[in-house]
Amino acid sequence: MIAVIKKELKTYFCSPVGYVFIGLFLIMFSIFFYVDVFQYSSTNFEYIFYSGATILTFITPVLTMRTIAEERKNGTEQLLLTSPLSITRMVLGKFIAATIIVVITELCTFLYFGILSFFGTPHITTALVTLFGFLLLAISYISFGILASSITENQIIAGVITIGFFILTWFLPNFSDIFTNFSLINMFSKFPTGQIDIADTVTFVTFTILCLLLTVIFMQRRKSVR
Amino acid sequence: MNMLTGYIEQTDGDIIIDGYNMLKKPKKAKKEIGYMPEGVPLYTELTVKEFVTYMAELKKVERKERKEKVQKIIEQTGLKDVQKKLIRNLSRGYKQRVAMAGALVGEPKILILDEPTVGLDPKQITEIRNLIKELGKTHTVILSSHILSEVSQICNKVIIINKGKLVAIDTPENLENKVSNKNCIYVTVEDLDNKMDGIKEKIEGIQKLELVESNEDGTKRYMIESKEGVDLRKILFTELAKENITIFEMKKADSTLEDAFMKIIEGGNK
Repeated sequence: MIAVIKKELKTYFCSPVGYVFIGLFLIMFSIFFYVDVFQYSSTNFEYIFYSGATILTFITPVLTMRTIAEERKNGTEQLLLTSPLSITRMVLGKFIAATIIVVITELCTFLYFGILSFFGTPHITTALVTLFGFLLLAISYISFGILASSITENQIIAGVITIGFFILTWFLPNFSDIFTNFSLINMFSKFPTGQIDIADTVTFVTFTILCLLLTVIFMQRRKSVR
Repeated sequence: MNMLTGYIEQTDGDIIIDGYNMLKKPKKAKKEIGYMPEGVPLYTELTVKEFVTYMAELKKVERKERKEKVQKIIEQTGLKDVQKKLIRNLSRGYKQRVAMAGALVGEPKILILDEPTVGLDPKQITEIRNLIKELGKTHTVILSSHILSEVSQICNKVIIINKGKLVAIDTPENLENKVSNKNCIYVTVEDLDNKMDGIKEKIEGIQKLELVESNEDGTKRYMIESKEGVDLRKILFTELAKENITIFEMKKADSTLEDAFMKIIEGGNK
């Protein structure tokens, strides 16, 4: 599994993918930082993450769309599936590698926290809770992205499915209140107020596990159906 | 092939690799196999060394030995000069070697090579064939190929599978002998007086004389069949000369693996 993580990270940073993800996120984040902090002269680090969640919605596919689709298209999937590595470990490896990229990005955002502490006293615990919530949101996004990547050979389709699904869960609550509890972004919204919502945490984690499990099942089924 | 390596699950029966059932103990079974898929899929964004190391990690080569073993395999497959290059920039022949190195790593007992020489130039083909022969001394090599001359050159044993059914399993020599017509001679002659038909009565031992084709330059090609164990070539030479028939070419019929293949497959389809 560690081999897969290492290789995936290498791929992220040998190709533009890793830099594009981190760079794009930080550029957008800076813009929102400027808008939120300077224009309203607030030192609220957490609130930028509402916008951060929006950015994440659109750029997660950059990380995930190639994970399995590319392997299948190039045939390198054969190398993985014929090696003594189990499918579960392979999927987990890819998932953890993508998560590490997000963690690196989060660490970068601490820079903004530093800037804010020059001008005021931002609350560190709230910031950490927000980052924790943000990570939970990220892992559920990533796991769905990998799931989408596992059902198709085409990276673009995988990416579009991912974004489509995220936007759907985002806007569904506007149509009916029933969907409020299904919206991943809504679930995240409590974290920047500084409270860890157990129910939401559990939902995020279960959603992640569900997606990864489905990915493993899909790949296993493909093995026997083909 | 895909089922043997555990890429697809089998529809029926059992796959047992070195005593391990592929379905029940896939990890152990897969560890004994080095697989080089058709079309050589590789991680083109990695360098040769990174790729071989990654394959070693996947195959669970001990960390201490890894570096040494990877280096050994890189040398064995002749990749030392290009080990720091990106696989993307390598020629087809080198890519094939990299794939071979990937299959070799982890010291598998069985090597499965799918069409190892497709798309290579003649020099690369000989190189790869020599490499396979070399590997055959220490590993069990299973090789699939559509080039039958290659098979008869490299392999000790041939399995012919037609529509999912095993139709023949033998050494290439035995297969060739099975279908060969040892008592057949092909002669190309210039027969100005049309005396060839009379030859059959003149020489004892000819069972069948058949015109195969008439060439444009007036020569004719005949097939002469004799009784088993009788070599007619010497008599033919003297007798035809007496009859004023000039021999342009005389050849004993030998069969190739291709003939054997065709015959076996056709026999199976009937």
